[in-house]
Amino acid sequence: MKKVININFQGRVIPIEETAYEILKRYIDSLRQFFANEEGKDEIINDIESRIGELFDEQLKKGAPCITDADVETVIASIGRPEDFEADDAEYQGTKASANKTYASEAGPQQAYVRHERFYRDENNKLIGGVCAGLASYFGIDKLVVRILFVIFTFAFAFGIVAYLILWVAIPSTASEKIGAYRKRLFRDPENKLIGGVCGGLASYFGVNVWIPRVLFLIPFLSFVTNWNHWGVFNFPNFINLSFSPGATLLYIILWLIIPEAVSTSDKLEMKGEKIDLNSIKNTIQKDMEGFGERAKDFGKEVGERASKIGSEIGQRGKQMGSDAGHAVRRSGRTFGDVIALLFKIFAYFILAVILLAIVVTLFGLGIAATGLLPFKPYIIDNGWQSILLWGTYIFFIWIPVIGIITWIVRKITRIRSNSNVMRFGFAAMWILGWICFIGLLASLRNDFSYHNNPVENNITLSNASIDKMEVKFNNSDKYYFDNNFFHFEPFAYVDEDTVSINNIHVRILKSGNDSFKVKVLKLAYGTTKLVAEQRADNINFNISQTDSVLNFDRGIPVTKTDKFRNQSVYVTIYVPVGKRIYIDDNIGWGNDFHIDLGNDVDDWNWRRNNEGYDWSNSVEYIMTNDGLKPTHPTENDDNNDDNNSDDQPASPAPPEKPGKADSSKYHYQPPSNNSSTDTIKKEASINNSSNIKSRVNITDIASSFFERLSL
Amino acid sequence: MDIQNTQSQMRKGVLEFCILSIIRQGEVYPSDIVDKMKGANLHILEGTLYPLLTRLKNAGYLTYRWVESNSGPPRKYFLMTDAGLQFYGELERTWKELADAVQTLTSTNGNIEVPEEIPNNNQ
Repeated sequence: MKKVININFQGRVIPIEETAYEILKRYIDSLRQFFANEEGKDEIINDIESRIGELFDEQLKKGAPCITDADVETVIASIGRPEDFEADDAEYQGTKASANKTYASEAGPQQAYVRHERFYRDENNKLIGGVCAGLASYFGIDKLVVRILFVIFTFAFAFGIVAYLILWVAIPSTASEKIGAYRKRLFRDPENKLIGGVCGGLASYFGVNVWIPRVLFLIPFLSFVTNWNHWGVFNFPNFINLSFSPGATLLYIILWLIIPEAVSTSDKLEMKGEKIDLNSIKNTIQKDMEGFGERAKDFGKEVGERASKIGSEIGQRGKQMGSDAGHAVRRSGRTFGDVIALLFKIFAYFILAVILLAIVVTLFGLGIAATGLLPFKPYIIDNGWQSILLWGTYIFFIWIPVIGIITWIVRKITRIRSNSNVMRFGFAAMWILGWICFIGLLASLRNDFSYHNNPVENNITLSNASIDKMEVKFNNSDKYYFDNNFFHFEPFAYVDEDTVSINNIHVRILKSGNDSFKVKVLKLAYGTTKLVAEQRADNINFNISQTDSVLNFDRGIPVTKTDKFRNQSVYVTIYVPVGKRIYIDDNIGWGNDFHIDLGNDVDDWNWRRNNEGYDWSNSVEYIMTNDGLKPTHPTENDDNNDDNNSDDQPASPAPPEKPGKADSSKYHYQPPSNNSSTDTIKKEASINNSSNIKSRVNITDIASSFFERLSL
Repeated sequence: MDIQNTQSQMRKGVLEFCILSIIRQGEVYPSDIVDKMKGANLHILEGTLYPLLTRLKNAGYLTYRWVESNSGPPRKYFLMTDAGLQFYGELERTWKELADAVQTLTSTNGNIEVPEEIPNNNQ
C-alpha cells in the first residue's frame, strides 16, 4: 500500500507514489549538484525535468494509474545518473581526470597504473567495493597483491574483513570525487550564524535544524550557571558538568578555527550535499554489490589467465634458466619490498594517530584537571591580584596551549593552510602572557608561604595516663555528608559550604621516658610574616578529647575562605611507655597531607622529614618494647590483621593477644561499625610517620623547583 | 586502464560531431537525437545530451524554438546557427582527416580480429 501524491512537474500534473517522488527528488538533487558548476545549469535541469515530465506523461497515457518506483527508475536509467555521465562527459573527464591521474609506465611491461594522489576506492577496477584496488593504486602496487593480503588477514586474524568494511564505508569512491560536490563536507555556515557559524554548518552537515546543535552547545552552560552556587558540593557528576561547560566553549573555539567557512557557491553546495546517514551508506553498498557476480567471474578469469601465463612463463624460464633468473628475482623482490613498504606505512600511520590522540587526550585531561581544582581556589588564593594572576594562568598558561596544539594537529591532518602565521603568533603571545601570569602567581604565593610560626608543642593532659592500651580514633563529623562519594579529592577530603577540611594531621609514635602515655600537639602554619603565621597557627581548630582509653581526634583541619590555606598542619606525638599498647584507627584516611612547597628559604620544619618516630600502620595494634614498636600479632598478612583488629571494638579493652589465633571468623568481612566514607575502601595504607609523606608526588614541588631555578 | 575507458574516450571525441550532424539536417527534439543515434548504434544518455546542447547553444552554434505540443507544454526544438554551420564544417574536415589517417594505419596492421564495438555500460 502506497500513498499517491499529485505533483506539478514542469506544467504537468503527475500522480506519483510518495516513495517514487522521493527517488525522483533525490535524483534531481543529484543532478543539481552534478551540474552545480556548469554554466546554464538551471536550463539544463529544466530541460531534463521537462523531458522527465514528458516521459511520465507517456506512461500515464498508456493507462498507468500513477507513476511508480519502477517507472521513475526506468526514466532515470534512460536519462542517466550523474555517475554515468562521467564516462560520457568529455569536458569533465578532460579536466578532472587529468588533474587526478598520472599514468605511471614504470610498473612492468603491460601494466600501467593509474595513480591517485589521495586514497579513493577505485570505481573502475573494483571487485567488491574497490577498496583493494584503491589501496593498490594509492601505493602504486599490484591490486592482486593487496587482495591476497586482505584474504590472508581475513583468514588469519579475521581482521581483513573488518578493515575492509571500515574502509568501504569511510573512503570516498573515485566516482564521488569526479562528481565533486557529491559528498558532504563540513563548513561553517556564514549565512546562518550567531557567532562563528559553527552550529549552522553542523546542522546542515547532519541535516538537522539549526537550533539542535545550538541547544547542545548551550546545555552545559545552563548547568554551569545553575551549578555555580553548589561548587562546594564536590562530587563526580558535578565535576563533569563543571569541566564540560568550559569544554563546550573550547570545542566551539576549536571548531571555529578548524572548519573552513563556506565562501564560494560550490562550498555551500558541498556543505548541503548528500545526506550522510545509514541510508546513503546502504545505498553505496547496494550499488557497489550490483554486478558483483560478473566482476567476480572476471576476476576469476583474470586470475586464471595470470596463473596460466605465469605457468607458461615459468616453463619458458625453466628452459632458458640462467639469464632471466636475475630479472625474476628482482621483480619478486620489488613486489615483496612494496608489500613491506605498505605494511610499514600503515603501521606508521597507526602509531602516529595513536600518539596524536594521546597528546590531545592528555592535554584535555590537564585542562580538565585544572578546571576541577578551581573550586579550591578561594581557599588558597587571595582576592585581587593573586586571583587575576590565577585566572591568567588558568586561561593562558593551561588552556591556550591545549587549544593551540589541538588546533595545530587538526589543521595538519586536514591540511588547512591559511593565515596560520597570525594564529601562531597569537597563540605564542597568549602563552607568553600565560607564563608571566604563572610566574607572577608563583612569586606571590611564595611570598604568602615565606614564614612559618615557631613550632611549640603543647601537652595534652590525659586523665589516666597509665592505662595499658591507648586507642586513637578520628571523629566523624556531621559536616562530612558525602559518604558514598566515589570521587574523592584526597588532600582536601571534605569541602563544605565555606570550609574545607584538610587531612594534614600527622601522628608520630615515640617511646615514653616514664610509664605513662603522653600526647603533644603542635600546630603549624605559614604566612607572609611571622606574625601572620602565628595567628594562623593559633586559629587552627583541632581538638583532642579523651574517653577512657580512647583518644578522639578531629578528622581534619578546617580552613575557611578568609583564613586561606597556608600549609596548616597538626603534628601529634604520642609517647608510649614500654610494655604498653597503642592502636590507631584507620579513619585517618590514607595519610595524605597537602602541602605547598614554595622556596627553600623557609626552613621546612624538620618534623616533616625526620625519621625519629616509629613506623606504624593504621588498624594494627602495637606494643612498645625496649627495641621499639612491635605489632602485638606477629603479622603473616596485613589483611588478617585488619580484620582481626576490627573485631576489637574501641571502647572495650582488647584481650591480650593470642599468638597464632587463626579462627575462621577472621575470613569473614565484618564492616567496622561506625566508620564512615573511607572505610569502604579497605586499603592498608602504611603511614610511616613522616617519611612517606614526603614521597608523594606533588605537582607544586615540581613547579617550585622550576621556579627556584628560574629565580636563582 | 581498461577497454571500456578507451572505448568511451573514442566515442566522446565524435559525440559533438554526430549531434551537430543530426541537427544540421533540420530542427530536432533532443529525444529524437537520442533515437537517431541509437538507430546508428551509437548510444548516448539524455543526461549527457542536454548539457552538451546547452553548451553548444551558449557558444552560439545552436539556437532553439518553442514548438507547441498537442500533449502538454510546448517543447524545445534545436536548430543550427550560421556559426554552428561553420563550426560543423571544421569538425567535418578534421574528422575526414582523422578517419583517413586511422584507416591508413589500421589497414596496414593486417587483419587483426577487431572486437565488435561493445556499447558502454550505460543502458
